[in-house]
Amino acid sequence: MRQVIKGNHAVSHGVRLSRVKVISAYPITPQTTIVEQLSEMCASGELEAKFIKVESEHSAMAAVVGSASAGVRSFTATSSHGLLLMHEVLHWTAGARLPIVLANVNRAVGPGWNIWADQTDSLSQRDTGWIQFYCESNQEVLDSVIMGYRLAEKVMLPVMLSYDAFFLSHTSEIVDVPDIEQVDEFLPPYEPEFRLDVNKPRMFGGMVGPDCYYEERYVMFRDALKVLDIYPQVCEQFHAVFGREYDVVEEYRTEEAEIILVTAGTITSVSRIAVDRARGEGKKVGLMKLRLFRPLPIERWQKVLGNAAKVVVIDRDLCAGLGGVFASEIRSALYPLTNRPVLFSFIAGLGGRDVTPEDVEGMINYAAANEEPETMPLFWGLKGDQGGNHAETL
Amino acid sequence: MNSKRRSEPAQKHELRSWYDYPPMNVSLGNMLHNKTGAWRFIKPIYEDKVPACQNACPAGNDIEGWIKLLQKGEYEEAYWHLKREQPFPSILGRVCFSFCQTACNRSPLDECVGIRELERFIGDQVAPSLAHPNLPGYHGKSLAVVGSGPAGMSAAYYARLLGFHVTIFEALPVMGGILRVGIPGYRLPREIVETEFHRLKNMGIELRPNTGVGASVTIDEIRNTYDYLFLATGVHASRRLGLEGKDESHRVMSGLAMLKKVALGEKVDLGQKIAVIGGGNTAIDAARTAFRLGCRVTIIYRRSENEMPAHPEEVREALEEGVQLRTLAAPARIELDDDGTIRRLVCCEMELGPPDESGRRRPIKKEGALFDVEADCILTGIGEIPILHYLNNMATIENGVIPVDEGLKVYTKGSGKARIFAGGDIIPIPHTVVHAVASGKKAAIAMDCDRKGTDYSDVLEEIALGDGTAISFSLYMGWDPVNPVTQNNRIVVDSEKIVYDYFGKEPRVRQEIQEANIRKRSFESHTRTFTADEAQQEAGRCMHCGRCIECDNCLIFCPDMSVQVKGEEQFGYAFDYDYCKGCGICFTECPRYAITMVDEETSVEGDNFQLSTE
Repeated sequence: MRQVIKGNHAVSHGVRLSRVKVISAYPITPQTTIVEQLSEMCASGELEAKFIKVESEHSAMAAVVGSASAGVRSFTATSSHGLLLMHEVLHWTAGARLPIVLANVNRAVGPGWNIWADQTDSLSQRDTGWIQFYCESNQEVLDSVIMGYRLAEKVMLPVMLSYDAFFLSHTSEIVDVPDIEQVDEFLPPYEPEFRLDVNKPRMFGGMVGPDCYYEERYVMFRDALKVLDIYPQVCEQFHAVFGREYDVVEEYRTEEAEIILVTAGTITSVSRIAVDRARGEGKKVGLMKLRLFRPLPIERWQKVLGNAAKVVVIDRDLCAGLGGVFASEIRSALYPLTNRPVLFSFIAGLGGRDVTPEDVEGMINYAAANEEPETMPLFWGLKGDQGGNHAETL
Repeated sequence: MNSKRRSEPAQKHELRSWYDYPPMNVSLGNMLHNKTGAWRFIKPIYEDKVPACQNACPAGNDIEGWIKLLQKGEYEEAYWHLKREQPFPSILGRVCFSFCQTACNRSPLDECVGIRELERFIGDQVAPSLAHPNLPGYHGKSLAVVGSGPAGMSAAYYARLLGFHVTIFEALPVMGGILRVGIPGYRLPREIVETEFHRLKNMGIELRPNTGVGASVTIDEIRNTYDYLFLATGVHASRRLGLEGKDESHRVMSGLAMLKKVALGEKVDLGQKIAVIGGGNTAIDAARTAFRLGCRVTIIYRRSENEMPAHPEEVREALEEGVQLRTLAAPARIELDDDGTIRRLVCCEMELGPPDESGRRRPIKKEGALFDVEADCILTGIGEIPILHYLNNMATIENGVIPVDEGLKVYTKGSGKARIFAGGDIIPIPHTVVHAVASGKKAAIAMDCDRKGTDYSDVLEEIALGDGTAISFSLYMGWDPVNPVTQNNRIVVDSEKIVYDYFGKEPRVRQEIQEANIRKRSFESHTRTFTADEAQQEAGRCMHCGRCIECDNCLIFCPDMSVQVKGEEQFGYAFDYDYCKGCGICFTECPRYAITMVDEETSVEGDNFQLSTE
């Protein structure tokens, strides 16, 4: 049924529809209303789940690690510093091969204390072994929860779905909220092979020496790559039941594009407008929306971006000493190509600063006008001199 | 969750390549073959014990048991369970001193549980006509109960359940003793008392009002007609004031006599200004009754308010209604006219000296501190005494009461067929309704043992509860407790044994009482029974001391997963002694002391509970 709901509530519905049995979360702006609505659903009986109250995000993650280990579909949600506080347990969750879904509201990392949209939080967790998705709309957010469980339980790896603070979390959009019977068709009950069972006691997470650890990690690595085969199957099944598709990337007007933008999150929506305008002016500009980030869909990225002359990556994140994370990963994905495009890396929108179609047009024009990018990324819209080429003067 | 533990000893798995690895970091064997129970030297057992409330109750009322049934909504079952130890919940639920509440372990947390109100609720739930289940036949022995007060009623009830033919003799035209003619209607409505006799009659007990022993029949007659006698004539005479000069007048009367007249619907000439002498329940009852009849009333008590033996609630309600209280005062002299009119009541101020034999400070007359109290009528409430002349010297009397043995048998003189027992206020026990009821129960059991030729002192020892004088009729009859768990009827669970961390504060549900202005002229009951919701809420405050309620704490805390739910509709848990190391965490974390740690060698009922294993 189509409803007008906020991004956070889209997550709540996704969790309800997935018949999650255990939820544990600690409140943090702008995630709080996800869990608020979930607790209301639990109280009314709409959702038959146990809500475990904890005193920190570290404990929240640990609590769902416990419940998932006991064989129960589990969920948590957080943002920014909450995610960072979970860091140790994020590594553990993936290593323990637990199919937990975590909804992360992308919010800036302090200090300065900033609650607005910024993707540094989830990107800084890219080494933890979690499958990572970036969502552009509230519909995508809801659907990603459901698909997330299906995928996670097939490969036994946890899924983190991220979406922008306030732009999605607190903004209402039209969302088709499916019926639970439809979701039951798509998402079967969770029945793991190994789980904590007092009648069949086993040792979980035991000590492993140098003679064994290596192979254990290799198995994990291989299984993560399986996602690249399994996810498209999940997508097909999802499409069959719900009529919506979510490919690993979405190509927007990339036919014969000379310049291709790469964006993740709500900047994608803004960029679609800039692309349309550019195409309107006869420029051959396209857009690759980045949805799956881990595992890295290297081949797909190579295929989409390989033939363009220039790739423009917009990072709403910053890795100190490196620059944009997406830019860095795309560079490394494109490296094996003999003919690879030139990559322009822009940093924009940190801490929730607005990125407008005009900003994106400016970035497109900069790329069009320049043959060689700078070594360091360009900070779009920075107040004051950046040194070197002043992008703002364009 | 039945234990179907499968032992899988660790095997050596060859991990030659990553291919051989399990899909996650998990052991493929377990350690169940290592029976850690072998480490134990003490072990836990589930053992229900005696809660503080039951221990404090002279009748050994299994309060926790019927509260549990109440909480399940099984009101009739709760009623019959309550009746096992105390047959008159609608009565005691209104007038009991509630020793249980004073002992309740909830007091250190917030406030005691309103047990008396809950008992009243249960008593009032049940239709008067509801037949007593499982009434036995008769074995042919007969019992004459002399006196229809609470001791007599209780003896009659239990004796009937033990198969005796029972007749209750009562001198007055109405049955009930003090319950009917001593306690005023606003505390205990007469219909409640009448209903209980209706029930007793339906059980086959013969009621003979207007048949006083020593008046309509003699003691010797019934002594030769019946196999057993239970004397329960109570205390219906009052202590005299014992003042200098004449104190006999139609306007100087015993408070108890006044109450009796009012209860029987007789006219009483009380005058306008009453002085009530005394501080016990009789004095307060007389004062409040006189007040309701339109008089101005002043209570004169020789000690201070704190030392008044009456129920503090009664005192407070009396004062709210407008009864005056003059403490540290006692009558010194009454001056009467020839026609008996009171000319003067002279009182003396008192002060408190060192404690006397009751432990309370002795009141001493203050020299030259005399004062007049305006009064045209004096009611005495300074102590009640038994009337025992009907005994015709058949029994020893010491200090005005009848000494008895541990089974309440009387030391008799002369001969006669009947074995004679006694209870209630005429034997040396505290003068409360519940003590009277308890004595009737004990005597009935002793009489039954006597009939069977068994030694009742051994039996009474076996069926004793806790560390007081209470005995259990359920134990005597071999009836099952509410929980099908091993019972220890001696260990008392006091507040030291409760783990208060597991209980949150809950405000006590207050019983509504009519405002003083409304109730002060009314003989109608001025409190109402709890509604079902109120009862459930208040019953929810019971901590179930010493009794398992399947709260799962032991299961949650056991580090060896050795607490197993019995399952399949069975109550409670079983310890898996294969693995239990006897660490005692379950015992420590049980909020209500329902587990006992015993020596490893002790064999226990229920040890054989089989947890199925593959």
